Amino acid sequence: MDYASLYWTFIRINIKAKTEYRAAFLLTFLSRGIVWSTEFALIWVLLYKFQSIAGWGQYEVMFLYALNLTSYSLAAFFCFHPFTKLPAKIQSGEFDELLTKPMNPLLYLMSREFTASYFSNVAFGMLFIGICISQLKLSLSAWDFFFLFITLVGGTLIQAAAFIYTAIPSFWMVRNTSIAQLLLFDFKDFIRYPVSIYPASIQIVLTLIVPYAFINFYPAQYFLGKQDFLMFHPLFQYLTLAVGSVLFAGALLLWNWGIKQYHSTGS
Amino acid sequence: MIEVHDVSKSYRVNRPRREGWLAAVQSLYARAYDWKTAVSGLNFHITEGELVGFIGPNGAGKSTTVKMLSGVLTPTSGRIITNGIEPSRDRKHNAMHIGVVFGQRSQLYWDLPMDDTFRLFQRMYRIDPAVFRRNVDFMVELLEMKGFYRTPIRQLSLGQKMRANLAAALLHDPRILYLDEPTIGLDVIAKTNIRRFLKELNAEKKTTVILTTHDMDDIEEVCERLMMIDDGQIIYDGGLQAFNSQFGGGTMLEVEYKGCNAPLDDPRLQVVAHTGNNVTYQFDRTDISLGEAVSLVSRRHELRDLRLREPELEKTIGMIYTKNKRQRELK
Ligand SMILES: Nc1ncnc2c1ncn2[C@@H]1O[C@H](COP(=O)(O)OP(=O)(O)OP(=O)(O)O)[C@@H](O)[C@H]1O
Ligand SMILES: [Mg+2]
Repeated sequence: MDYASLYWTFIRINIKAKTEYRAAFLLTFLSRGIVWSTEFALIWVLLYKFQSIAGWGQYEVMFLYALNLTSYSLAAFFCFHPFTKLPAKIQSGEFDELLTKPMNPLLYLMSREFTASYFSNVAFGMLFIGICISQLKLSLSAWDFFFLFITLVGGTLIQAAAFIYTAIPSFWMVRNTSIAQLLLFDFKDFIRYPVSIYPASIQIVLTLIVPYAFINFYPAQYFLGKQDFLMFHPLFQYLTLAVGSVLFAGALLLWNWGIKQYHSTGS
Repeated sequence: MIEVHDVSKSYRVNRPRREGWLAAVQSLYARAYDWKTAVSGLNFHITEGELVGFIGPNGAGKSTTVKMLSGVLTPTSGRIITNGIEPSRDRKHNAMHIGVVFGQRSQLYWDLPMDDTFRLFQRMYRIDPAVFRRNVDFMVELLEMKGFYRTPIRQLSLGQKMRANLAAALLHDPRILYLDEPTIGLDVIAKTNIRRFLKELNAEKKTTVILTTHDMDDIEEVCERLMMIDDGQIIYDGGLQAFNSQFGGGTMLEVEYKGCNAPLDDPRLQVVAHTGNNVTYQFDRTDISLGEAVSLVSRRHELRDLRLREPELEKTIGMIYTKNKRQRELK
């Protein structure tokens, strides 16, 4: 609980640092909003022409997008700067200094570098989820909302784990931007659309190896009342939190191992 | 306070790998690497309240040593005990009792005044509010930071930033302060300010200070003890005076006699040059005091002129570096 109050201090100071420049903060908020809204609208336009992709309608695909955006933004909140900047920090020696602080380095990084401006992404993501729910006229019970929350938490853990996994190699390699780029962005593009449109091999990869499909494709079926489980079991729609927890726990283990390596071998 | 027994450190360095992401994935599981020894066979003790300066050429292993002492790196072999614990094993606990500033890197929030980061550190180190207040006042006063205490860090000069970093590292009253090149890139005034501050900190709070530097004035003005590292090994450990007499070749005394030119014959005064009426003597101040030397050389013959040249630390050290480098190249 000691940590909770310390964490709150970190959050306050971060927000303070960002809002020092009120204008810049607002501008980021707006420009990000425009980018996300454009992407969101683009799906609408695309699907307006095709009516549906693999049986998924306009707002259903937009719902996939909204789930991905929201969980990504929640994860990026805490993970974007800490982990994408880690290689540079290790190279500059800033990371060494961080190891002289009386805190767990992962917590310290995530607290210190959390990015207040991702708040706008989260806000837009939630807004888009809301739009989809109302456009699709989904009547969700309290339990359904709770499950939506659980799903977002699970998705956030998956996305956060991806950030951590891609940063860990920098403990023993100088540059690994290609892997990070591949895993964090190129690969993530697949789940903009229903996974069912891809060949079986890609579906398997997205489910079992880099399980991004659990971020949106499987849980969305619960809310949309779909039965599109491909070669997998319908149970998969409930597994997002479990998958996220396992991935995240694995990421933490690997991270600790990476730090240990770093202590003993240098980078 | 600090005990170092037979410590060595090797870095693992990757062999260069091919470009492309396939090679990148490959290098994840099949890495080719070599070991590079940075320091070896370090042995020393530092007692509480000492002011110790590490010097040595680039790549000698100074930063590596400081990183091991502060718990950032684990020694490859040997044992380090500081404050009664092994810093790399008990990293977080150790961190509560040390202050660290590595070069110009900063833990301060760039967009905010130092005050905000200080308050964060107060929480992080669980510093008692009264103690915190007192330490901040002490620091702002001694480091002359009143004028920019509330200015965002990004607007500060290098020297001002360095002072803020120092203050941030000392809020929690650490027993040991590690500084890796604290005066690099600073002007004379900022350097002087920092040196004076370190002396006063040491006098006031008995803080043990370990610093690395390339500036001999740092050593002369701050440190009581000097450790010279070259090629990963300690080649000198002791006081500055003794260092000068061991490596500096002693003080030079140039005299010009009136008329007579017979040099003095005393084993403590070595004649290194002799032309006409001019004689240059060299002596070690631990053997003979300056006053005695002057009275000796002037006892029998009248002097027209007398000049004293102290060994120049900078030059002496340069000579040692070059000599050792040449020896290594011969091997
Ligand atoms: N992370 C690292 N990986 C591999 N080798 C390293 C690493 N850090 C340092 N070295 C090597 O270890 C040796 C000692 O380096 P170190 O940084 O301790 O020297 P230094 O005395 O601080 O030098 P400088 O005066 O340039 O700061 C050097 O040969 C250096 O190349
Ligand atoms: Mg160095």
